[in-house]
Amino acid sequence: MRAYLRFELRRLVRDPRLMFFSIIGPVATYLVFSSWSAGDRLEGVDAPVAIMIGLAGYGAVAGVLMVGSAVSQERAAGWLHQLRVTPLPPGRVVAVKALVGSLTAIPPVIAVGAAAAIQHHVELPAGRWVALLLLMWAGTVPFALLGLAIGYGLAPQVAVPVNFLAFLALSVLGGLLAPAGYFPRGLQSLAHALPTYRYAELGWRTAAGHPPTVSGLAVLVAWTAGFALVAAWAYRRSTARR
Amino acid sequence: MDDLAIRLTGVGRRYGSLRAVDDLDLTVERGSVVALVGPNGAGKTTAISMMLGLAPPDTGTVTLFGGAPAEAVRAGRIGAMLQDGAFVPGATVRDMIELARALYPHPLRIDRILALAGLTGIAGRRLDRLSGGEAQRARFAFAVAGDPELLVLDEPAAAMDIAARRAFWTAIRSSAADGRTVLFSTHQLHEADEYADRIVVLAAGRVVAEGTPAQIRASAGVRDGESLDRAFLALTDLSVATETEH
Repeated sequence: MRAYLRFELRRLVRDPRLMFFSIIGPVATYLVFSSWSAGDRLEGVDAPVAIMIGLAGYGAVAGVLMVGSAVSQERAAGWLHQLRVTPLPPGRVVAVKALVGSLTAIPPVIAVGAAAAIQHHVELPAGRWVALLLLMWAGTVPFALLGLAIGYGLAPQVAVPVNFLAFLALSVLGGLLAPAGYFPRGLQSLAHALPTYRYAELGWRTAAGHPPTVSGLAVLVAWTAGFALVAAWAYRRSTARR
Repeated sequence: MDDLAIRLTGVGRRYGSLRAVDDLDLTVERGSVVALVGPNGAGKTTAISMMLGLAPPDTGTVTLFGGAPAEAVRAGRIGAMLQDGAFVPGATVRDMIELARALYPHPLRIDRILALAGLTGIAGRRLDRLSGGEAQRARFAFAVAGDPELLVLDEPAAAMDIAARRAFWTAIRSSAADGRTVLFSTHQLHEADEYADRIVVLAAGRVVAEGTPAQIRASAGVRDGESLDRAFLALTDLSVATETEH
């Protein structure tokens, strides 16, 4: 299993799309747009901090979804069948995929955090930075499952656009790109029901020194359970065919 | 217990109304090289999928070394080369071989694997940048890396050039000489003729003939010196057979 994890991590590091979408994209967006609302308080923290967390989450979700939906190509190319005729248990393949996907959340959090620290002198106690990183990593579980559901459930021609649309809708409506505080009321309550908003909320609360909210965790757990069900169904369907 | 590497008994598999494999009986003895030949749609790939435990048979039983295919696969006794499956963007030839070596209990040395598969100069090349023949050799490398007791190869030499083919078949014969069992499917009858101890001819999901190349010729009524192609056509397509009688 460790060999397969190493194999997947090497591939990930060599993937230029990941670097672009989950690191360069959010960092550039942060550098350009974070000054616009610099005086505001958003989500209970200063705007530069709120936007930092939103864009770090944006990069993290982009990477996590990308890894999951790439399973679709590997499936279509026959690579997953090839792995199934080795001693590697199929369940491990899924576990490694989910783990590798969630690990892609870490670089964007560090990169956008560094950009915020340099550009706006954002300062948090060391313990909060660590807590922020860990929560932004752990909070990607529902997105890793969504990615796997897309990857195992859909053919590559469909998986790529579906993945992109899901990502765009979830990140924009969830207030990762533009803060939900600027949304009209109806869209705001929609945002509060989305896993992306509740994911970033973990970060906002941590930065403010508060524990996560019960309602936030409940929303995240509900989405996680839903995505897990779809992913399990898609996985079973994909192994039953052929 | 017994000397069989593969045993299929009364195996059938349908896809919708298509009967891909129909009441198939097939045995492969340990240490032999067996070719599975047949026209497109004869059920070769389906039969191989069932042998490897990738698809369960609708009817009948499949055993590898007397046990369930999944058990043999888990124990690292099986190496397989599927028709596709080496396209993993971002990984190099060496990454893929290292992965296979780590998954099997008694792998070959990496330089030996590269030499066997004719990949020595391109170990650092990315899999998505290989030519068709190179990709096929990479798949072969992945299959042999763990030094499995049984190699199952689905059209292994299809995209290789002549030199690569020769090297490939030499590697196959040498692993058979070491007591390994090899089952391969092919369209190239001369390859079956030259490299297999035994040939199994499939048509419409059934075995229509099996035996040594000489026995195959005899059962089709084709003389010994003649190409196996005529015997093959005679066995797999009755209309052609009657035409060639005249």
